[in-house]
Amino acid sequence: MFIDFFYTLKDHGVPVSPTAFLTLHRALKTGLIGSLNDFYTAGRAILVKSERYFDRFDQVFAHTFEGTELPDLEGLEIDEMARALLAEWLQNPREMADALGVDEEQLQRMTPEELLDYFKERLKDQDGEHHGGSRWIGTGGTSPVGHSGYHPGGMRVGGVSRNKSAVKVAMDRRYRDYSLSGPLKASMMNEALKRLRHLVPTGPRDQVNVDATIYQTMKNGGDIEIVFDRDLKDRLKVILAIDNGGWSMDPYVQIVQTLFNYARDQFKDLKTFYFHNTVYDALWKDPSRYKQPVRLEELARYDPATRLVLVGDASMAPYELMAREGSIYIQERSGDPSLRRLQLLAETFEKTVWLNPVPQSRWDYTQTISIIRDIFPMFELSIDGLEAMVAHLMSKTTS
Amino acid sequence: MPENQPVSFTGASRYVLDSELAAIVNISMALEMPLLLKGEPGTGKTMLAHAIAENLGMPLIVLNVKSSMKLVDALYQYDTLTRLNDSRFADSDRDVSDIEAYIKMGKIGQAFTADTRTVLLIDEIDKADTDFQDDMLDVLDQMEFDIIEIDKTVPANHRPVIIVTSNAKKDLSDPFLGRCNFHHIAFPDPKMMRKIIQVHYPDIDNALMESAVETFYRLRALEGVEKRPATRELINWIRALRTDPDFNPKQLARGETPFLGVLFKKSQDYQRASSVVHGRKLF
Repeated sequence: MFIDFFYTLKDHGVPVSPTAFLTLHRALKTGLIGSLNDFYTAGRAILVKSERYFDRFDQVFAHTFEGTELPDLEGLEIDEMARALLAEWLQNPREMADALGVDEEQLQRMTPEELLDYFKERLKDQDGEHHGGSRWIGTGGTSPVGHSGYHPGGMRVGGVSRNKSAVKVAMDRRYRDYSLSGPLKASMMNEALKRLRHLVPTGPRDQVNVDATIYQTMKNGGDIEIVFDRDLKDRLKVILAIDNGGWSMDPYVQIVQTLFNYARDQFKDLKTFYFHNTVYDALWKDPSRYKQPVRLEELARYDPATRLVLVGDASMAPYELMAREGSIYIQERSGDPSLRRLQLLAETFEKTVWLNPVPQSRWDYTQTISIIRDIFPMFELSIDGLEAMVAHLMSKTTS
Repeated sequence: MPENQPVSFTGASRYVLDSELAAIVNISMALEMPLLLKGEPGTGKTMLAHAIAENLGMPLIVLNVKSSMKLVDALYQYDTLTRLNDSRFADSDRDVSDIEAYIKMGKIGQAFTADTRTVLLIDEIDKADTDFQDDMLDVLDQMEFDIIEIDKTVPANHRPVIIVTSNAKKDLSDPFLGRCNFHHIAFPDPKMMRKIIQVHYPDIDNALMESAVETFYRLRALEGVEKRPATRELINWIRALRTDPDFNPKQLARGETPFLGVLFKKSQDYQRASSVVHGRKLF
């Protein structure tokens, strides 16, 4: 019974297990399910274990029992991509026309709808010819436009259209927040923080250590000696430096800040500084990077056991990192290339890490990421990445 | 045996139940499977367990999961210190050689050894690590556990109705999910919300409720708020509004929002909300 339904669910990416399917049949036997509505409710509660598949379950259910069409996923992807192209076109018509190899004038005469259709056609053609290619219109995602951060991880593509049809809502990963490997969201803060704790005993000795008590008591020949331990608290000093310059980092700045604000009462000392793209003479205490500079030399006065966490996409033009006068700000002219300054930071502190919101799979495509990775151990800004980072920061600690 | 009686859950005095959730609760009870509830904080996950217990007339046992919790804490505790003390001073009436006298049941143990069928609420399971979750499900599956110290197996007298809640901070493991039924409590719509308020404040003034609900959903829709106010905050807010003798529902319609701190509990959110509220006043 309902075996087709089961496999349709499976084919559409809802993780259903045979055990759950058998449980559903057990439920049918109980006589509690008397209508299609009951079956829908029970089926969803038993088969689907996460709200992120509720929507897909709905669609498959509607398809199986009502005969509605299932969405054509491939067509949808092209649809969304065409919309992204349209948005791109509105922002930057010339570049777009160049990339497509068509006349800008010609494109400008089209209405948005015509443009959309035109892009779709182009996409379909291109998909066949340049499958996985590096042309920027391809689906491989290694295009120069995507590369410089315009469509980071396809997020932009998913977020363009506001008036979505029901079908599109299905693709609109509304529950992306809960994915472990995805970018961090505020709702995951606590989870992430558990991993940032570094427990050190402090405070009054008010915890009974049973094992030690028994041991001491036996040693005293039965004379009770109760051994107390201190409570465990996190006493870690942390400097957080965030790249808050430019739009490429915008989506992440708040997330990272919230993350470490939560952490504030955990750590003994948390300082937040800001920089843009990379570090030159100074870090800044104020987010506008204008009023309160802190020269790197001053940082040397901090406890070398302080953990330095830099957060940034590490993506910039190579000269910003390598050239002697590389800063894009005219007032920052120290004579040292930024690369040297970063090395100085890495030498000042025992433990440093670089957190990168760019997914790890794409690090190799950016030259500056590779260079910075040689200086700082780099981790992805995701729950998994944080875990690896904390493991690194905590390894072989002497304090 | 109470298990064989057709117990079914229909709602309780302080809880507004939608029919879908009622069906899921009943099916989970019939299948003897734990029901896993997810949803935003403040949407009534914990309240549901209280409501089930009240409706079915069963005692409720709440296990509040903590991040440092070990499974054995939830099952039983072996009070070594008291025993050590008794053996030293011998001034209690317990028999020191009988270890069982020093075993205290934890919450799951209490649910198993209770004389009647109970509702066992395991609250915020996602706080604990995955090992805890999987081990606990083993115990709940087999309906028995061992007390290692006295080599005794404790079987469940009655299979408790198990409700597990999670705040969706992280995914639970697949084996865990496989053994539960699942429901996600969505945030109630304004219509449902009015019903919920009426259950909590049966004598509420209509004008107050309308304007409070409207203001609430408007504030909830604010962008960039980290902890959006939920049902719990709304109910507390209405209580605050009602206790204020100077308050008039017309104030809300004019855009004034007293007691904003009841709704927004993080300082950043509060500032954001109050700036919006005050910005509105200028027009």
